[in-house]
Amino acid sequence: MKLAGVDVGGTFTDVIVVDTASRQVRIHKVPSTPDDPSQGLVEGLAATGPDAREVDFLAHGTTIATNSLLQHDGARVGMITTRGFRDILHIARHQRPLHYSIQMEVPWQDRALIRRRYRKVVTERMGPRGEVITPLDEQEVAAAARELREAGVESIVIGFINSYRNPEHEERARSIVEEVAPEAFVTTSASLFPQFREYERFTSAAINGFVGLKVRRYLRRLVERMRETGMHAELRLMRSNGGVATAEFAARYPATLLLSGPAAGVLAGAHVGRACGRHHLITFDMGGTSADIGIVTERGIVEATARDTFVAGYPVLIPMIDVHSVGAGGGSVAYVDAGGAFRVGPRSAGARPGPACYGLGGSEPTVTDANLVLGRLRADHFLGGEMAVEPALAHRAVEELGARLGLSALDAAAGIVTLVDHHMANAIRSRTIQKGHDPRRFTLVAFGGAGPLHAAAVARLLGVPEVIVPVYPGITSAMGLLSSDLKYDLIQNEFMLDTEADLDRLNADFDRLDAEARAQLRRDGVPEESVHLLHAADCRYVGQGYELRVPMPEGRLSAEGIHQLREAFNRLHREEYGHAFPDNPIELVNVRVVATGRLPRMPEVPAPTGGGLASALVDRAGVHFAHNGRLEAHPTALYERMQLPVGTRLEGPAVLLQADSTVVVPPAATAEVLPSGDLLILV
Amino acid sequence: MTHAAPIVDVIEYERGRPPARSVDPVTARVIAGALDSIALEVGHKLTRMSYSSIIRESEDFGVALLDARGRQICECALSTPLQLGPIPGYLRGILRLFEERGDRFEEGDVVIHNSPYFGASHGPDVGFCVPVFHRGDLVGFSFTTAHHLDIGSMTPGSCGIVDAVDAYAEGLQFKAIKCYERGRRNEAVWRLLRDNVRASDMVVGDMEAQVAACHIGAQRYLELLERYGRDTVEAATEELMNYSERMLRQEIERLPDGTYSAEGHIDGFADDPDPSRRDQPIKVTVTVAGDTLTVDLTGTAPQVPDRAINMPLVGTVDVAIYVTLRSILLDQATHEHVPQNSGLVRPIRIVAERGSLANPTFPCATIARFCPGNIVADTLMAALAPICPDRVAAGTANMKVIAYSGVVDQTYWVYMDITEGAYGGRLGRDGVDAVDVLYANTRNNPIEDIEAHYPLRVTRYELRTDRSGAGRWRGGMGSIRDMQFQERAHMSLEGDGHRHPPRGAFGGYDGTPGDVVLIKRDGTELHLPSKFQSRWAEAGDVIRTVSPCAAGYGDPLERDPQQVLDDVLDEFISLESARTLYGVVIDGESKTVDHAATRELRAAMSRHASVGSE
Repeated sequence: MKLAGVDVGGTFTDVIVVDTASRQVRIHKVPSTPDDPSQGLVEGLAATGPDAREVDFLAHGTTIATNSLLQHDGARVGMITTRGFRDILHIARHQRPLHYSIQMEVPWQDRALIRRRYRKVVTERMGPRGEVITPLDEQEVAAAARELREAGVESIVIGFINSYRNPEHEERARSIVEEVAPEAFVTTSASLFPQFREYERFTSAAINGFVGLKVRRYLRRLVERMRETGMHAELRLMRSNGGVATAEFAARYPATLLLSGPAAGVLAGAHVGRACGRHHLITFDMGGTSADIGIVTERGIVEATARDTFVAGYPVLIPMIDVHSVGAGGGSVAYVDAGGAFRVGPRSAGARPGPACYGLGGSEPTVTDANLVLGRLRADHFLGGEMAVEPALAHRAVEELGARLGLSALDAAAGIVTLVDHHMANAIRSRTIQKGHDPRRFTLVAFGGAGPLHAAAVARLLGVPEVIVPVYPGITSAMGLLSSDLKYDLIQNEFMLDTEADLDRLNADFDRLDAEARAQLRRDGVPEESVHLLHAADCRYVGQGYELRVPMPEGRLSAEGIHQLREAFNRLHREEYGHAFPDNPIELVNVRVVATGRLPRMPEVPAPTGGGLASALVDRAGVHFAHNGRLEAHPTALYERMQLPVGTRLEGPAVLLQADSTVVVPPAATAEVLPSGDLLILV
Repeated sequence: MTHAAPIVDVIEYERGRPPARSVDPVTARVIAGALDSIALEVGHKLTRMSYSSIIRESEDFGVALLDARGRQICECALSTPLQLGPIPGYLRGILRLFEERGDRFEEGDVVIHNSPYFGASHGPDVGFCVPVFHRGDLVGFSFTTAHHLDIGSMTPGSCGIVDAVDAYAEGLQFKAIKCYERGRRNEAVWRLLRDNVRASDMVVGDMEAQVAACHIGAQRYLELLERYGRDTVEAATEELMNYSERMLRQEIERLPDGTYSAEGHIDGFADDPDPSRRDQPIKVTVTVAGDTLTVDLTGTAPQVPDRAINMPLVGTVDVAIYVTLRSILLDQATHEHVPQNSGLVRPIRIVAERGSLANPTFPCATIARFCPGNIVADTLMAALAPICPDRVAAGTANMKVIAYSGVVDQTYWVYMDITEGAYGGRLGRDGVDAVDVLYANTRNNPIEDIEAHYPLRVTRYELRTDRSGAGRWRGGMGSIRDMQFQERAHMSLEGDGHRHPPRGAFGGYDGTPGDVVLIKRDGTELHLPSKFQSRWAEAGDVIRTVSPCAAGYGDPLERDPQQVLDDVLDEFISLESARTLYGVVIDGESKTVDHAATRELRAAMSRHASVGSE
């Protein structure tokens, strides 16, 4: 069987093709084709060899939904909502995005996803227990749909108050709209994700409607292009929840693709770490403008709580992997601000003008420039030697900055690196120590162009004992695509007290959600034995506003099960917040089913075998490290990483050069090439 | 008869001095970043652990760390400025009381405090303070404040207590009480509390969450001291405060020296027969001298001895001033991030006559000081408008808060609903619609959450269109929110802006005042004033809160006709307003601008205006 993973990013399209029989792996990087990303995808695949069209299974990560939202380039969307609530999307949570500002922009008002002229109200009302208070006026729905169609609206969102408890009116309205405006892309708020909190749910639906047509058109084009080139691979799209879905499902719920790329990165990190026998992982993907951080525990990849997820300033109430993105990358700019403080990022020099050393007119020093000055990056090996850079320009830029701070060029360079390392370490702390996870039990999996350069230092700041750098740090995300399953999240709101639990009702909920999940996976062609269902409940102490997800015991729920749930919730609350209120009753806000269908996996990648320390040695040079509180040049060996066979051990300081990244092993650290070919650094 | 000269109180702070020990710029930034993330973590955990929607949904809480001298070194970027700003004042109040009593902090203490005459913002905003000891020395404080649902006032809930006749009628007063002493829970205090507040499970649950959150902050601060050493951390925080001070002074220095003033009005008690309780003036005079700015409130109306709208000088007035100046001069949208700490108050002097609304004397009631404080902020912004026209907004629309309550099975439920105001137009931008304004920044509660948990139903929540002040940049729209009672229940309301419209700026028009209407089940409508305490409503009755709409900025005849057309298409304004206020003629059929007719109409309107002004 031939498997392919294709991660289409803003700049590059990364391709990996694996033959499961021969365990042969081919990787390729081609420039992305933003006007029609499917072109780069197909070309990238073709470039891996003549048998690309024999690929059986293609997993794809895409930024198409994200970019549509970030660039505010989407469909003309209309909305049909409950009478009296035309402006939920505009008033939002009535909180300003900034505390201390008069001139602020308010994304949901200044860049409305659905303009007010396209928001129509109809007579209907559901009650908080799902009871019909006012029946749906179907004539009004039809009239609204007609008006929207005539106004050139291509995408229609239906969002009614309390639909999370009873979606009947939304569903009825959908069928009317589909009759009146058959061409329209229709989204109902409860079908996307039936969670309470109307502003967040309606906004999620609006995002779906906004990016929907673009995604649908793209997927159609992609399927067409694959067909034209004779490819018959099964296509699966990576979703924000770390699972994949069929193209049909993705086209219906495109808002679930918003974190498609970053999710693949976390998955990849998890895959690499687990293959090395580690189950507490911090995935650390650092590129040119930002660093993405994910957490994996023995319970799996950590998901974001629905209320904490924002994309482009809009809340997204859809299950997602918790990918924490910080504005810290190789291109982050260092400067002195008006108050005299030393700052690095979040502003990035981007690809143009880029770091000062690119010689493209950038005069401000970046993190990359600082690494050059310190000798951790090599001008003669930049991007595997494919790009010329000018260290003198980097030096000058760093020196000028240092002069303003009373620091030497070397001290300024070390300062830039220190600040960016701390910035990332703080971000990781917010996802570990602050959530009750002790980083000393974790392994950092570092990838992306700049991840392996900073990983050991970041690990030291956190007390993380070891770092793993995958074989191909630059295309790790594409590999992550081949470690995914089909995954669906189903949810039913209950608002039920544990002291008054209605077991029959809960069991009926689970039965229904299980059946729905199985049916979806059957449609996806997953055999019954590959289906896996997990039950959980979102709980809180009565009165609280934030829920924690607690796994439920398997099988039919009994009074004992409720008791266990309560214990587990108290434990989780203490772990997460450092405190529990065990005497207080618990409210089961939602019950959930997470359904996965196993997919073919990537086999282990063959590790490099040839070479040795001596033949891998490229150079010895003085590289600057702040060690034991002193910044000084340490004699450092530079190796060609691909020439280091499995089992090689080396001592820091050392720098490992490879085509798509550079690995730094600092003084007093040791490194070893694992049987998988991944590099383990003991910091 | 001789008049004694009024006593004037002045709040001022010393200029910062460089730290005794210097810290390298890298370590300084590293510690600054660590402090920000500590405060964020504490705030995050407090919202998630807390029970009442006023904290967890509305985010009406504050979190800060302070140094041993009681200066704020960092605050949580979540939550609301009105909770954050007062924290140093709370601590000074506690220290003053301790000194009077000969009391002192010991390891393991937790202090509860809410006295507005000792630095607290108002009674319901209860502060909890945990002293941080490092190797036996008191090195700082971890502090949280939060608005509680009920504090044992004369009527249920903790807003709309407008008729409180004195500080005692407002509810429990905690004056630096140790609710934990050396780690031991003082059960009597908690018992007293539980027995004297309504909805006590929620209130006490929230307070326990505050205490737990304080401990997390203290723990993290200790870890920071251990990691970098106490001397280094203290030098870095000193430098951090100096940095913030420097940033603000630089901006003040750029303003032209001189004196600038403005006057605003509060509604007062519209239904009170005594005219001195209505339409009271708030006077603000700003003096810029070099890198220092003085805000003088002399001329503001006298205190109202037996009603609750008096504003504590420390805790409300000072915060309104600090927050407004920071938002204008170090605007986060246009300016580098400047950490909010005690350095920011040093360039500012505040002057207020004792016995005025802006500086009341004990035992005047203060619990309903929220809306008048927004008028202080808005009037200050108006005073500054002539010297920084690109940084201010035209007149702001004020807010309303309602407490709903009832009794089920002999137990109270209390729910507080905060509705919104709006900002005036700005140079180059329309005003922000339907948001919390100025010195507060809370969130509304989801309708679906309210309906699932209280016998209330929201039947309308929409923009209030076609009422905002016209201008080249239009004023923000307020909202209309209808709340229907599903059972007989009780309500109290505090708000403002029913009698005085937000003021237009630079040729922009005034906004529109707000309203409150009780729509009885039989359809009869009763207009209510902007403040009332303790009214009953029956099942089926609807209370409609109508926000004011904010003021316009610049001449509406200069507004881009395309923008006017867009406003008409979005039904933000009517076709009629487009013509009469903006001079834009829009064809009702084709929905396009008739440019020729518009030019003609605008020319005629400006001729008329200039004739009118002669």
